[in-house]
Amino acid sequence: MAHPSQLGFQDAASPVMEELLHFHDHALMIVFLISTLVLYIIVAMVSTKLTNKYILDSQEIEIIWTVLPAVILILIALPSLRILYLMDEINDPHLTIKAMGHQWYWSYEYTDYEDLGFDSYMIPTQDLAPGQFRLLEADHRMVVPVESPIRILISAEDVLHSWAVPALGIKMDAVPGRLNQTAFITSRPGVFYGQCSEICGANHSFMPIVVEAVPLEHFESWSSLMLEDA
Amino acid sequence: MAGEEEDNKKGFRMLGILDVKTPCAREAVLHGAGGSAITGLIHFLTTSRVRRSFDVGFAGFILATLGSWWYCRTSRARLLVQQRLLQDGLKNKVAFEGTSWDPETQTPRDPDQLGPRDPPRP
Repeated sequence: MAHPSQLGFQDAASPVMEELLHFHDHALMIVFLISTLVLYIIVAMVSTKLTNKYILDSQEIEIIWTVLPAVILILIALPSLRILYLMDEINDPHLTIKAMGHQWYWSYEYTDYEDLGFDSYMIPTQDLAPGQFRLLEADHRMVVPVESPIRILISAEDVLHSWAVPALGIKMDAVPGRLNQTAFITSRPGVFYGQCSEICGANHSFMPIVVEAVPLEHFESWSSLMLEDA
Repeated sequence: MAGEEEDNKKGFRMLGILDVKTPCAREAVLHGAGGSAITGLIHFLTTSRVRRSFDVGFAGFILATLGSWWYCRTSRARLLVQQRLLQDGLKNKVAFEGTSWDPETQTPRDPDQLGPRDPPRP
């Protein structure tokens, strides 16, 4: 999860997020080298004693600074497009969950087998137990089985919201009257936090998302417990 | 996984405050610095031109960094794919052992019955 003074991404918890991390490293190295090149050219320009007031054109340098950026853009675009299409793949999900945004909480519905639905409100700061995270904890977590493809359908009941979990590499707008679909697989068990990512009113910052990935048998016992309590 | 702990420890500090822990970044920058020094020095020793040697050295830095980065990242990606295949194979072995899907109990195909899409005989 996030930690203070963090600059980079959170550790990946899904294959898509791992690919995004790799692409980010790739793009960042290219950006770093370009920045180094520009800095070197600036230093060379400033420190040179050579001047030529009569130069009009130069075919060689024009070719270089046209072709080289095109090549760099292709090197960035190809893995980017690959990941873009990878993120749209939905391969035989084991479970479908509906996440509905409200002002100001999320509700989750597991309706594949039984009619399970619950609301997920942020735990207020004064009610936090020791060790819990401020503005991130919710009273009911969205529990999913680990290493299972999950389809999630996202919508909203009132205004625009956005369902985002950085560790899973997911961000999808919750639009009233529209059903947005995405899928993910959690690579490891754990608890993954996110926050609403579309301004939605006074308590926009206080409607977190908590996804808990557990082994299948734990997921089954959790769902049975939730159905009994409903 | 075996490589991840080594990757986590092999970071470097940039500008005194930024911890760069990107896998392969440290090696790429070090190789780039070494390549830069070697190419610049060789050029200077052969031509005695200082500014041009700096230019050549910088070009060597770019090429060495890119080359080291590309090689390290592709090797790492290949290793990760192999690790994932091994993990899936182990999981499937445990899951399918003793069943009709167990590859160890399936009879091998007769080479004389290879179809047009099958790989050629060795």
